[in-house]
Amino acid sequence: MLSVALTLALAMVALALALSLWRLMRGPSTPDRILALDTLYINTIALLVLFGIRQQSQIYFEAALLIALMGFIGTLALCKYLLRGDIIE
Amino acid sequence: MELLYAFSVGLLTACGVYLTLRGRTFPVVLGLTLISYAVNLFLFAMGGLLPGRAPILSEVGTEYADPLPQALVLTAIVIGFAMTAFVTMLALKARAEDGHDGVDKEAPR
Amino acid sequence: MLLAILLTLVVGPPLVAWLARFGRLNAAWGAGAVTLAAAYALWPALQGAMAGETQLQRIAWLSAQGLDLHFRLDGLGLLFVLLILGIGLLVILYARYYLTSRDSMGRFYAYLLLFMGAMLGVVLSENLIQLLIFWELTSLASFLLISYWQGRSDARNGARMALAITGAGGLALLGGFLLLGEMAGSYELSVVLASGESIRAHPLYTPMLVLILLGVFTKSAQFPFHFWLPNAMAAPTPVSAYLHSATMVKAGVFLLARLFPALSGTPEWSWLVGGAGLVTLLVGAVVALFQHDLKGLLAYSTISHLGLITLLFGIGTPLAAVAGVFHIINHATFKASLFMAAGIIDHECGSRDMRYINGLWKYMPHTAILAIIASAAMAGVPLLNGFLSKEMFFAEAVGAATQLRLGWLLPAAVTLAGIFAVAYSLRFIHDVFWNGEPIGLDRTPHEPPRWMKVPVELLVILCLAVGIFPSYVVEPLLRVAASGVLQGPMPSFSLALWHGLSPAMWMSVIALVGGISLYIARAPLFEIYARLAERPGMYRRAHHLLERLYLWAGAVTRLSTPERLPHMALWVLLFAMTLALTGALQAGAELQGGRTLLPMDLLGVVTTLVLALAAIATVLLYRQRLVALTLLGAVGLVVSLIFVRFSAPDLALTQLSVEVVSIVLLLLALYFLPQQESRATSPWVVRDLLIALLAGIGMALLTFAVLSREGQSISGFFLEQALPGGGGANVVNVILVDFRGFDTLGEITVLALAALGIYGMLDGIKLQGPEADSDGRRWDPDLYPPVVATLSRLLLPLALLVSMFILMRGHQLPGGGFIAGLITAVALVMQYLANGVAWTQARLPRNHHWLITLGLSLATATGLGSLLFAHPFLTSTFQHLHWPLVGDFELASAMLFDLGVYLVVVGATLLILVNIGLMHRESHTPLTDAEEEV
Repeated sequence: MLSVALTLALAMVALALALSLWRLMRGPSTPDRILALDTLYINTIALLVLFGIRQQSQIYFEAALLIALMGFIGTLALCKYLLRGDIIE
Repeated sequence: MELLYAFSVGLLTACGVYLTLRGRTFPVVLGLTLISYAVNLFLFAMGGLLPGRAPILSEVGTEYADPLPQALVLTAIVIGFAMTAFVTMLALKARAEDGHDGVDKEAPR
Repeated sequence: MLLAILLTLVVGPPLVAWLARFGRLNAAWGAGAVTLAAAYALWPALQGAMAGETQLQRIAWLSAQGLDLHFRLDGLGLLFVLLILGIGLLVILYARYYLTSRDSMGRFYAYLLLFMGAMLGVVLSENLIQLLIFWELTSLASFLLISYWQGRSDARNGARMALAITGAGGLALLGGFLLLGEMAGSYELSVVLASGESIRAHPLYTPMLVLILLGVFTKSAQFPFHFWLPNAMAAPTPVSAYLHSATMVKAGVFLLARLFPALSGTPEWSWLVGGAGLVTLLVGAVVALFQHDLKGLLAYSTISHLGLITLLFGIGTPLAAVAGVFHIINHATFKASLFMAAGIIDHECGSRDMRYINGLWKYMPHTAILAIIASAAMAGVPLLNGFLSKEMFFAEAVGAATQLRLGWLLPAAVTLAGIFAVAYSLRFIHDVFWNGEPIGLDRTPHEPPRWMKVPVELLVILCLAVGIFPSYVVEPLLRVAASGVLQGPMPSFSLALWHGLSPAMWMSVIALVGGISLYIARAPLFEIYARLAERPGMYRRAHHLLERLYLWAGAVTRLSTPERLPHMALWVLLFAMTLALTGALQAGAELQGGRTLLPMDLLGVVTTLVLALAAIATVLLYRQRLVALTLLGAVGLVVSLIFVRFSAPDLALTQLSVEVVSIVLLLLALYFLPQQESRATSPWVVRDLLIALLAGIGMALLTFAVLSREGQSISGFFLEQALPGGGGANVVNVILVDFRGFDTLGEITVLALAALGIYGMLDGIKLQGPEADSDGRRWDPDLYPPVVATLSRLLLPLALLVSMFILMRGHQLPGGGFIAGLITAVALVMQYLANGVAWTQARLPRNHHWLITLGLSLATATGLGSLLFAHPFLTSTFQHLHWPLVGDFELASAMLFDLGVYLVVVGATLLILVNIGLMHRESHTPLTDAEEEV
């Protein structure tokens, strides 16, 4: 039962990944793309957690944690650039 | 799976090489970053692909992925960042001194 | 012996340079102290050598490869050590008064000690290759010292010429040594010296001899390579006294003496060495007389005397070798004191031209007396040391003459050189101290400071003491040194003033009388010489040759290097691809190996697809730079996913952190670069695409070929030893901080250097950022949106906690110093982003250099700590502790090392990002006072 659910979830997250990438490539505006990248980060977190459950290993969870943290900061930097250009001022 | 991996490395290399051959600094930096991805993946592949066998010793584990390429690539990633930063700084310096962002002394066409 | 060399070569230079920051005279004191310390360190060995022992000291390094540090001290070494340290000390004292307040004392003494250490290395080496390394070091130190006054073109040219000539000689010497080592079967001097018979009988003896002699002749300024020495006189006079009369130029004759038992005794040796010596002796003596520059006269006289010593070794009898050693001692004492006297005169008159400086006796009688005694010794006047060795030389010349056809020519030529030597010595005395009044000096000369004369006085007293009581003062040392040269029975000789009316005595008398007459009748000779001198000399010709070489080198560089970077990159790529292709064709193996491949799964296909699309989109959209950057972020994300997938959690964590740091970095840079590129069509697109595609296909095939094969790995050792040996379960981290800790130390050093390099490049850079974004909208006036600011402040402790967690557990589970350092750096950079520079800098240290220093020191200290427990560098240890509440916890010394790594990574990343970010604070919207106060 769990394996079926996991496979299904993985497939859906993979689809989400592809769709986020589509947005990232298409745009049309830069904020769209930044948002798409952020969503891509979130999708990856989901993917890692699901994958960790399937492999029955906790090792993947730190990577997920780190993506959460780093993804936020990356998005922050991109947004700041969009607003001010100069990100450290 | 190995085919997909090899394809990825090749594609990253191709994209990196193309961008590195451009005449302005920013694409060159992007290209170098792509090439370093490819090289890191390539070096990592020297240990073979083994899913689900991280080299963290445990009582139950018997077979582990090769840790040596991983250790090498880990430092390579960090040094790669330092090198990217250095090249970027060179690009900024060149921009300040030449007044354009081409990789050569003369402005790119 | 190693200690003395280390003191002068490694410890001394930085020490005096550092001391000079606290007052320039400290450098002189420091240099003196270092020299004395080196002498103290060598003292027991020197006493042993004086007793006639040959002492060897071997410091094991890579013994398996035959690479050890191997030192040797025997009589010959003893003599040279005394010269190097003794005259070195006097020169240090002298230079303290010679250098003016405009000259950097720290730099001078640092170079001087560098030279001293290198020279000690030359005379104390047992291994030939090691000797050559020190030999080259003396050339480099000499280059630095000659060009000490960098602002003067003659100093730069002279230094360059000296380096070119002695460097070329060093190359020849290397060839000679390699041949010699192969012939003797060993590069150890003991073996080489003992196998003279077989060396001389070897078919390659002549080429080997020629190569070694090229090295010797260039170093000791023998004709026709003598011309660099007069031009090296652009160096400060203490340098000329030390390097170019007493020590460095003696390195050549030292080598002749050193290899004398192995190489001498063949006709080739006699003709080559003796011939070069004789010609140099004559040319030097004649040209010296006609120099107007005081130091020029001394330089040519030095050349002539070096020729004399070379000729003595060329004659090849044991007694001639003794005379050669004796003259080395005597020449060093009188010539160093003469150079110092010339320096005093230059210092007091502001000129060294003998046409203008005359009649100084009135102004500086004390200096005059010293200079007169020293130049009398140079002329070979009885009761002075120069007389004794010269007479031995004359006697040897007469002795050698009996064995040659037309042998009488040799004593005749030698006497002629003696006549000129007397004449130029007389000129040095008469022209400078009498001969009318000084002409056109801008100051009135007077005696120099008291202590400036002390070194000269000491050397002149030595000249007198040796000259009057040779058997007491110098004979013991001479015997020991000569036995070191001969490595066998000593010939009988007596150092007496009076040997009866021998031919040598008559030659001395002729030289003295002839020299005085020559000087009196000099006027017409000077006219002839002036006419001859208009023709381009050796130096000028060599100079032109060198210039032309530079031009050729430039042309070759231009030919082989395209001017544009893309073309250059293309050549490199094509070359690499051709190599790879030929390699692959030659190997001729199947593309696919025997390993069973992993099955493809959905996840793999999707990630590959995402990666491919993102990478291709980066290339397609690279002109819109911000977009390309976000796409690059996606590529990096997928790469870290691949690392996770194939069991490399550490790599994934590192890649993720680096990804964000890179994005911040590129955003910082992008602000100063054009946001977009115009869509100019490049004619090379198709070609570049083709090349890129080929490179990609090559890499893909190579990767596949590797992946489909079973490989052999040395990692079994690491996996087995990680827990029992390194005390960590995370093998990757154990490799980094323990097994290959030395590599990691190198890596963080590189990181630190890159950060410092970037910091250095930021100095004085001025760039203006755009006023509006790429769509022409003005920047948002809200500098620090409160939501983001608050959130990021809240996130900081959390992020730091994560980084601490990752750092502490790195030895057991994925993590470690590199990753934790990046996370901390990113968390701190986030504060700069969200709260601004002023807010952050009020709360965090502004200076990141000390973090790097602390980290590097900690990592190095951890490594050095194991030395205290008599383990090799970077041996780690670990201990299991039970902490209340936390539970069992393992403490490994490698974790301290990891902490060092962590600090360096934090420091370097912050240094890079924050300083690039701060670059344009001035050029951007100026902060108002109110904001500044926040």
